[in-house]
Amino acid sequence: MTSTTRRLLLGAGAAAPFAFVRSAVAQIRRGDELTVGVWGGMQERILREFVATPLEQQHGVKINFVLGGTPERRARAYAERGRPSFDIVYLNIFESRQAVRDGVTQAPTDRVANAANLYPVAKLGGYGVAFNPVTIVYDRRAVASPMTSWKDFWRPDLRGKVIWPTYPGAQGTAALLMAAKIWGGSENDIDPAFRQIAALKPFAAIQGSQDQLYTMFDQQVGAASVEFGSFTRAYAESRNPNIVIADPVEGQAIATNVACITVGTQKQALAEAWINLHLSPECQRAYAERIYYSPTIRNLTLPADLTAKLVMGEEAVSKLVDFDWDVVIRNQPRWSSRFTREIAG
Amino acid sequence: MKAASTGPVLAAPYFLWLMAAFAAPLGAVALLSVQESSELFAPLSLNPSAIQYLDLATDPFSRRTILRTLALGACVTLASAILGYPIALWLTRLPPGWRPLGFACVLVPLLTNVVVRSLGIILLLAPGGLVSNALALLGLPRVNLLFGWFAVGLALTQVFLPYMVLALYDVLEAQEKRLAEAAAGLGAGPVVTFFRVTLPLSLQGLRAGVVIVFLLSSTAYVSATLVGGRQVMVSGMVVLKEGLEILNYPAASALAMVMLAASVLVTFLIGRAIGFATPWIAARPPRRLPSMPRVLVALLETIGPAVSRILLAIALLLLLFPLVLVAVSSFNNSPQATVAQWLGFTWRWYAAVLDNDRYLADAWVSLKLGLAATVVSLAIALPAALALVRGTFPGREALSAFFMLPLALPGIAIGLGMLRLLQWFTALPAFLGILAVHVVLVAPFMLAMLRASVAALDRGLEEAASGLGAPPWRVFLRIVLPQLAPGIAVACLIGFLISFGEVTVTAFLTTARLQTLPVRLYAEASFSLENTINAISTAFILLTVALLLLMHRLVPLDRVWRR
Repeated sequence: MTSTTRRLLLGAGAAAPFAFVRSAVAQIRRGDELTVGVWGGMQERILREFVATPLEQQHGVKINFVLGGTPERRARAYAERGRPSFDIVYLNIFESRQAVRDGVTQAPTDRVANAANLYPVAKLGGYGVAFNPVTIVYDRRAVASPMTSWKDFWRPDLRGKVIWPTYPGAQGTAALLMAAKIWGGSENDIDPAFRQIAALKPFAAIQGSQDQLYTMFDQQVGAASVEFGSFTRAYAESRNPNIVIADPVEGQAIATNVACITVGTQKQALAEAWINLHLSPECQRAYAERIYYSPTIRNLTLPADLTAKLVMGEEAVSKLVDFDWDVVIRNQPRWSSRFTREIAG
Repeated sequence: MKAASTGPVLAAPYFLWLMAAFAAPLGAVALLSVQESSELFAPLSLNPSAIQYLDLATDPFSRRTILRTLALGACVTLASAILGYPIALWLTRLPPGWRPLGFACVLVPLLTNVVVRSLGIILLLAPGGLVSNALALLGLPRVNLLFGWFAVGLALTQVFLPYMVLALYDVLEAQEKRLAEAAAGLGAGPVVTFFRVTLPLSLQGLRAGVVIVFLLSSTAYVSATLVGGRQVMVSGMVVLKEGLEILNYPAASALAMVMLAASVLVTFLIGRAIGFATPWIAARPPRRLPSMPRVLVALLETIGPAVSRILLAIALLLLLFPLVLVAVSSFNNSPQATVAQWLGFTWRWYAAVLDNDRYLADAWVSLKLGLAATVVSLAIALPAALALVRGTFPGREALSAFFMLPLALPGIAIGLGMLRLLQWFTALPAFLGILAVHVVLVAPFMLAMLRASVAALDRGLEEAASGLGAPPWRVFLRIVLPQLAPGIAVACLIGFLISFGEVTVTAFLTTARLQTLPVRLYAEASFSLENTINAISTAFILLTVALLLLMHRLVPLDRVWRR
């Protein structure tokens, strides 16, 4: 009897209009707990300092971090669709838009005050908290002349020295799509990309993460790859001054880190407060200063020498190469399988 | 027959545990593998479809991946056996005072995080690394051994060799020392003695080691991902990619099921092969071995001892050298763990670890989980081992295969199944839920080791005790248990270590309030591998050595390990 009643209540809750549910979760109460799935490392530290600690002190709430890579987090959010154990998950640009369409995470709204300062491109499929463009990075000692175009990967002096990024993943996706673009294809005509990338074989290696790439650069396994400019700049400045972050004529491929509130969270107001703080100038400044993440908000000014290392301002942001992510997402399984067979395998 | 009736009873707890915590996720994976639609939110269909398996069978890439993975597992197993025997024999011959140190050489690598050990292999094999430099010094051309099958094989051997050593040590230590003396008295040199006496009598331990190493290495993917440079495709990586990145559960599940079937088949074949080579266990007449030409014997006896010493040196170097690199790196003043060049001495990574109470809290969770999983696994695996070795009940072989199944299923597949059952699963208190799964992962290892120990028991002693009027429980406590003690100690140690270091399945089950240390390290590694990981690992290495020394003071290790 009890279970029937409970099921009825749960059913009613799920079927109720969002506004009705919202009234129950619209305020932050002391003792509330917010569960945030995010990457570890410096990112976690900045979030603790600028977002978690202020919220905990101000509202008497508790923030739980679940650290990990995007695939595990995303798989779990999908498995728990509608009844999430996460309140916020951090995804990348294409995963976040797909998650909104699949009913796993919420589309952005104006209830997050600081979202009004976001560039329009950072307000799709969640709240973009950092631009993290993907570009060409190379070891200046191992190339005949500076790399200025995505086509330079096909130069004779780089034969056998290219470290290609694995697909899917932000770097691999950008590399595949840029290859299509420069060789007369597009996300709707991917064949030229696969043909041309296969022509680059043998690769010096395939890289699966920035850490792996930097190890490869340390060991001089290869000469050039495709990677986030942000992390690579930190790596080049702290460890390997021979590494250059290129600004190719065709542009850098857009990539963003996106904060997504799950559908069905019981901590809606707290989750929105979290994202509001994450989009505050203070937090965005720390991102820029400590890990060279480019701000997604327009109301932040930074010293000129730092700005020069970032993508800042309407013009620079509009130059980032964007793609039709619906097409990319739809084709991901097929392209992934093709990549494994034709490129990596 | 008494054993016939008590066998099923003794095996029941293990069986029930597997049904509850393993059969359910496995069932989910099996059900997913026969789905026709790969659509993410397609409703589960009860109409089985063979389409996923047909896709696998008709895809040359999948076939190649499965075969290569099995071949890799076989090579790693062979290398572990060849390198494992010299170490295990060396351990049995060490003077008691040196034995703790010898064990430390095997146990300390086992305790070190797999990620870090793979990094050690990277430093070793890189183009500018030690092996390459050594070749250059010898006037040979520099080679890039990294990011290929050789590197993955070497990394896996480094990771799984300790399991082989412990399995072999257990049976070698129990062997009657006078047999070797007798062989020598009859004119056999060390090589002939090894192949005609030591090897045949240690085959049960070899079987345990081979099964464990083969199953682990053919389902592993962490080392392949790190040192294979993503160009080495093994089945585990493909399951991970299909399941987690593409979210194509049916395809991932079908591949996991095929791997499971292949593993079960190989385990069965290994069992048959060992059974064929040890006819005396089934009380069958012995087989006559063909005799070797005298010249060959003389040659082998001449080079044998030197080869054995070289193999021992290689094995110890392979086990320990990556750890030395890890320890050295922990003092390196560089932000990332993989830096090859020395940037200056610093204590700051240790300060960072001590400053971070989250590491300590997570280590405490891992410790409790490891201890609880070991105790529960021992409680169900020991009776099961007695039942499987001594019982003669029908279905014993099938039960034995079922008991080893969790070992054969890649952790990632259990994770996939768990994802599907997550709603049901998270209703349990988090600790109990993870414990249930850890027992499933740990118990088969302990069972494999305990089986070898039980098989090596001297039944004459028990019969004598019974004949003198001891009731069965006293025979068990006074005769069986003391003989099993070393085997139990080794099994518990391995069980604890596996639970303590488990990542692949635990990563799916940890919650914000219950996180284990390996999952935290793995999480940090997937974003950026900071040098704190080396500091934590070095601290663990020192802790292990300290614990072994302490154990040695309280209970002399030579008495614990020697029967």
